Amino acid sequence: MAERAGHRGYIGARPLNGSRTPQHVQNIVIRDYARRKNLQYLLSAVEHVMPGSYMILEDLLDELPRLRGIVCYSIFMLPPDENRRREIYDRVLREGCDLHAAVEEIAITSKDDIRAVEDVLLVNKYATILS
Amino acid sequence: MIDTAFQQPDEQAVADRFVKDGFVTAPADDRVGLDRIQRRAAELAADYLRLPHSNEPQELLETIHSRVSPDDLNGLRMHVITGLNAEPWLRPTYFRLARSTIETIVGNELCMQRRVNLSIQLPADDSSLLATHSDVWSGDSPFEVVVWVPLVDVFRTKSMYLLPPSVNGEMQDRMASLRSAEELYKTIKPHLVWCEMPYGHVMVFNQTLMHGNRVNEEKGTRWSMNCRFKSIMSPYADKRFGEFFEPISLRPATRIGMQYKLPGGFHG
Repeated sequence: MAERAGHRGYIGARPLNGSRTPQHVQNIVIRDYARRKNLQYLLSAVEHVMPGSYMILEDLLDELPRLRGIVCYSIFMLPPDENRRREIYDRVLREGCDLHAAVEEIAITSKDDIRAVEDVLLVNKYATILS
Repeated sequence: MIDTAFQQPDEQAVADRFVKDGFVTAPADDRVGLDRIQRRAAELAADYLRLPHSNEPQELLETIHSRVSPDDLNGLRMHVITGLNAEPWLRPTYFRLARSTIETIVGNELCMQRRVNLSIQLPADDSSLLATHSDVWSGDSPFEVVVWVPLVDVFRTKSMYLLPPSVNGEMQDRMASLRSAEELYKTIKPHLVWCEMPYGHVMVFNQTLMHGNRVNEEKGTRWSMNCRFKSIMSPYADKRFGEFFEPISLRPATRIGMQYKLPGGFHG
């Protein structure tokens, strides 16, 4: 089997939780995270601006056999549907890869990590933020 | 019928071609400037690879695949583009390469992307491909154009492809039913146009149209640069004024207009 490349960055053009972060800043955050975790950062792919499109994420999942993993800018970039997210986690782990989120500094490197990530997403869905 | 048009016939022809084909190629307005960019790119590449500077920059660039591996390609690319962007003359020169076409298609009050980009496609290398996309899908405004400048001759898979405007809308309508960009590529493949031009030419293209590249199956390495331009006052998307674009030709009437205040103090 050919040597796998490093971790592909995954950034977005849609607001997350109502906030917008410039794409070059998202890349800086991912690059910094990759450096601190000793991951080899590969140029980021940018998800579509169209609401509900995860076409670029699907391309990254197709690329997994040649990668060591994916570093998302934020875990909140993942699809809102829990079943679809679980399919993504399964696919990442099945390919021998891992999935990181740079802002939240969390990672799924085994099935045991999924619950912590899902907790973050669920709490964010139901808890309100004081303005 | 009036005997005097607002546009010169040659300008109108360029505009018509851009609307119909989605791109226009033309010899560089500033050939000396283009040669300067090509020479500096070759010098920076030679520095990175610890080679002597070459008197044949195009030859060095086209054969760089014999001196660099795909693993080291991004290091080389970053070294060259960082060095080029550090040259204060780069962006004015880049603008001058296509000034007449930009002004015909976009206008003469412009902003320009702050950093010029560089792509390098080694023959048979699948590690740095750009999947089918429209720049608008990743946060660019539909009011932008891309100025694409090859530093070598480009043809067939050594170039980039573009989906013509005549079919772009129909293909976009099918997009939501497709899973990945690769599926999208297979759907649009029969309709694609490969943009071919010799070194010395530049291209201005409509980045709302689907475009991308594939594995370079030709013998030489492709080197191309790209940079976005838009009319200053046209709408912005995620790539904002200030952080992504900066003005290069703000005209006096606009400056005056932006500072003007109507007389105040009336109490009637």
